[in-house]
Amino acid sequence: MSDMTINLKIWRQKNTNDSGHFEDYILAGVNEHMSFLEMLDVLNEKLIKEGNDPVEFDYDCREGICGSCNMVINGKAHGPKHKTAACQLHMRTYSDGDTIVIEPPRAGAFPVIKDLVVDRTALDRIIEAGGYISVKTGAAPEANLIPVEQDVSNQAFDYATCIGCGACVAACPNSSASLFTASKLSHLNRLPQGRPERSKRTIAMVEQMEKEGFGDCSNYAECEAVCPVGISISSIAEMRREYMKAIF
Amino acid sequence: MPSLLEAFQSQVGRKILTGITGVLLVFFIIFHLAGNLAIFGDPDAMNSYSYFLHQFGPLLWIARIGLLLIFVIHAWIGISIWLKKRKARPVDYKVYSSKGGPSKQSLSSRSMAFTGVVLLIFVVFHINTFALGDMGDAMLADGTVVHDVKTLVIDTFQNPLYAFGYTFVMILLGAHLGHGIWSAFTSLTLRSKKASAVIYSIGVIAAIFIAVGFLVIPLYIYFGGGCDAALIHCN
Amino acid sequence: MNLDPKIPSGPLESKWSTYLRDVKLVSPNNKRKYKIIVVGTGLAGASAAASLAELGYNVLTFCIQDSARRAHSIAAQGGINAAKNYQNDGDSVWRLFYDTIKGGDYRSREANVYRLAENSNHIIDQAVAQGVPFGREYGGLLDNRSFGGAQVSRTFYSRGQTGQQLLLGAYQAMMKEVHSGKIQDFPRQEMLDLVIIDGKARGIITRNLVTGEIQKWEADAVVLCTGGYGNVFYLSTNAKNSNATAAWRCHKRGAVFANPCFVQIHPTCIPVSGDYQSKLTLMSESLRNDGRVWVPRNKGDKRPPNEIPEDERYYYLEERYPSFGNLVPRDVASRSAKLVTDEGLGVGETGLAVYLDFRDAIKRDSREVIEAKYGNLFDMYQNITDENPYEIPMRIFPAVHYTMGGLWVDYDLMSNIPGLFVAGEANYSDHGANRLGASALMQGLSDGYFIIPYTIGDYFAREKLEKISTGHEAFSEAADSVSKLLDKLLVIKGDKTIIEFHRELGKIMWDKVGISRSKEGLESAIVEIRKLRDEFWQNVRVPGDKNYYNKYLEFAFRVADYFELAELMAIDALDRNESCGCHLRDEYQTAEGEAIRNDKDYAFVSAYEFLGVNGKLETKLHKESLNFEFVELKQRSYK
Repeated sequence: MSDMTINLKIWRQKNTNDSGHFEDYILAGVNEHMSFLEMLDVLNEKLIKEGNDPVEFDYDCREGICGSCNMVINGKAHGPKHKTAACQLHMRTYSDGDTIVIEPPRAGAFPVIKDLVVDRTALDRIIEAGGYISVKTGAAPEANLIPVEQDVSNQAFDYATCIGCGACVAACPNSSASLFTASKLSHLNRLPQGRPERSKRTIAMVEQMEKEGFGDCSNYAECEAVCPVGISISSIAEMRREYMKAIF
Repeated sequence: MPSLLEAFQSQVGRKILTGITGVLLVFFIIFHLAGNLAIFGDPDAMNSYSYFLHQFGPLLWIARIGLLLIFVIHAWIGISIWLKKRKARPVDYKVYSSKGGPSKQSLSSRSMAFTGVVLLIFVVFHINTFALGDMGDAMLADGTVVHDVKTLVIDTFQNPLYAFGYTFVMILLGAHLGHGIWSAFTSLTLRSKKASAVIYSIGVIAAIFIAVGFLVIPLYIYFGGGCDAALIHCN
Repeated sequence: MNLDPKIPSGPLESKWSTYLRDVKLVSPNNKRKYKIIVVGTGLAGASAAASLAELGYNVLTFCIQDSARRAHSIAAQGGINAAKNYQNDGDSVWRLFYDTIKGGDYRSREANVYRLAENSNHIIDQAVAQGVPFGREYGGLLDNRSFGGAQVSRTFYSRGQTGQQLLLGAYQAMMKEVHSGKIQDFPRQEMLDLVIIDGKARGIITRNLVTGEIQKWEADAVVLCTGGYGNVFYLSTNAKNSNATAAWRCHKRGAVFANPCFVQIHPTCIPVSGDYQSKLTLMSESLRNDGRVWVPRNKGDKRPPNEIPEDERYYYLEERYPSFGNLVPRDVASRSAKLVTDEGLGVGETGLAVYLDFRDAIKRDSREVIEAKYGNLFDMYQNITDENPYEIPMRIFPAVHYTMGGLWVDYDLMSNIPGLFVAGEANYSDHGANRLGASALMQGLSDGYFIIPYTIGDYFAREKLEKISTGHEAFSEAADSVSKLLDKLLVIKGDKTIIEFHRELGKIMWDKVGISRSKEGLESAIVEIRKLRDEFWQNVRVPGDKNYYNKYLEFAFRVADYFELAELMAIDALDRNESCGCHLRDEYQTAEGEAIRNDKDYAFVSAYEFLGVNGKLETKLHKESLNFEFVELKQRSYK
């Protein structure tokens, strides 16, 4: 397959206070094996050579695990493919002449820093509120003293696999962080080690999520659709159950 | 530890309340529908049913007030969620679309606030028309004198504005329940993925049944169905 | 310079317990008077920060990512070793120690490695208590898998995301202390200099990556946990932001850099597909448990792999190393891949790849079993290459993965600058010339959870630390020098981009300081690096300005440091006239391509002191000799 030419429409915003706007770019020589972010690298190289400001976007591992990248591509967080982070999206998904609109993950709780880069520390503060098991270094018992059913352990993993990218927030029509919060709760609350603190943890994280200005969950399940690791909204149902148990 | 009052004002608490009130309203609607369908029963069925309810006296009023309260809570939370949405995302996307797959975004789910508000307004009119409307008396086969709800219903739906207006609103009710029934179960902590899929389908089917159940009545009457059955004078 | 490793005396088994018996303590009331800076929040940084805060110290954490949870430890796939012997297959602390020191080709300290093996079991306990969802057996107890370089199954894993799960455990422990107020967490801050007062590390200079502000931070000790320098090669499995700047700045302030030439080239990565490639993706070593590595026996055999009959397939690892087979250590596997591709047997469009084939494993165990073990890795492979590894063998090739070298530290993990501690991949301590699989997670967490918290207390108890503030002139001097360097980069406004320079540097390094090295190659590499570095300082184009978010300015700063470090790596590789571990010198190998180590002349840690850069890098080599009291030095054999 020969190289493609892609029309890009990218959100540019100087800083948090700037109102921002779209800019159009035409990028030739896009190879189908390039990752989406590599395509943006190529665009930036071109912009730099032309004396223009490159497009800022967050990325780090480029293996789909660190959760740094999170952009909304043609209206979909992380682009069109399911269970795929933007860094794992490849240009073979597109065809010559396609137009691609790229926006930052938008939410009041995610202020834009520059262009496509946003501040997601609100998610850290949700974890800080209670997303841990309070065990001090050195205080742990021998690991095999606490058997955990294989199924339970596997389910815990399915929720623990959240990469914290915030796509769930970006895609939610209400900008809710419920999937993020619930996945951590579903991971820790179901393990025997996490039981003693489950009520406290659930209440604290739910309160923090609201305090950060994330919206309510309306069970759209769009979060599950865009989640690069496919976390199920059954975790949200579980969070509600835990919350009910905790307050009564 | 939040108090119960505080807990039910939290995001999760609100959602659970929405679910509880939603489920109760669905029960009421089914109950209501059963009453409505009495119009297809024997000539006295509808008025006897109405009479039966009125016999509860003060209890009926308690139920009515309770129902109103449930309705108001449900609507109030729904509207507040919708109002918060803008605050939670002050700058909206230029391009936005659902990724499909497990997403439950649909015309039904996206329009919950709209359909909800329409239903809210509708209910005010509806109570005004039927619960507070002028009714004559009718005599049942056993000689009991009762409010003539049936005639009121049939008269009302002779008016095309009412007949088609009701039909339209009932379609919106179906749309609201299409997402709502499944959503209520999810809000009420249904977490099994398999059960969730089943309930989603059941929810959609139930929504269709309920909507069709309601809207056949105005259409049936408007197109003359009720006249023969009720042996009432129609135009 | 006296590089005293300060190893406790006595038998190997009791060195660490002797140390703990004699270690000086800081009373709980006094702990709250100390402030500690932890730079980097990967496994070593997050675990150290959490553990120090739990003890009562005031901790400041800094990371370059937008969240502490994103450090590159998160990408480690396969697992973490521990000597639990849950499999009853004869494992023990001694065996883990022995495998590690042998795997490192006898270029690490016995005492450090033994302590690592002892701590390994505590790490598993700690992680399980934190809720890390390790793989389990039906009975609910922990499961293990096998990894290269060992004949026992001692690797604990969370599917293919062990690093992620362990890091989240450490990050959560850290956030718990942020909640308690003992840790102040500063994401998007990059350390650009170390501040030394009265010969002791007393603070750092950072650049706030959002506002561009140069900030000064004072403390009683600095713990550097900033990872390795594999990105010198441009293409590596490291994250794009992983860099050597913090460590290199410490080096320029006097910290000695040890074994810079020891770079691990991981044998199983997805091959390069084009010039635009920005990074390489690892396929976990655990795949070699079930995958068979082969190339066509005949040169130029362009048939699709599934059409090549069994007797025309060259399972070169199984044939050459029958007792370890596909599970030879990483250095051996990488070198073998290079040997067969050099012979022209490589596959794929570029000829720079070998097959990793699961056909037989799927036939033996069923597709479901293989999917349960490696599903996410197979998906990742398919996503990147657009080929289905359940049906077509994977194509893999070695890629730069991990750097065993790093800042020199003593047994306390303290550098030669008092008060500067170095943990995790950033130090050089435990892996010698080659790291075994599933040992990096073990080392990072051992350093952070179980070593630094003791040794830093000992330092505080012994040293009298004057009260200082960021008003001290050493802070303004360091901050000014950082600002000047940023300005210097910004005014060049040349023609070539940072990435173009970095890619060129990477190519020199891969070709001449990569899997195999020769005297001529290294000498010419040094000349080329210097030339390219001069050109960089005259012709690089750094876009934008310094007083706002500007990732390319960050890169420019890092690449400037790589240019100096690269030269040091080549100098060290040239100096080490032997082949050991990942360091293969063409001149020192057998006719069959096996490494020849020279224990008589090179059983030492090369430790470089920075003297200056003036057209060329001026360094002074110090040697810490490695004394093997407890193991016998043998030529490694995996045959």
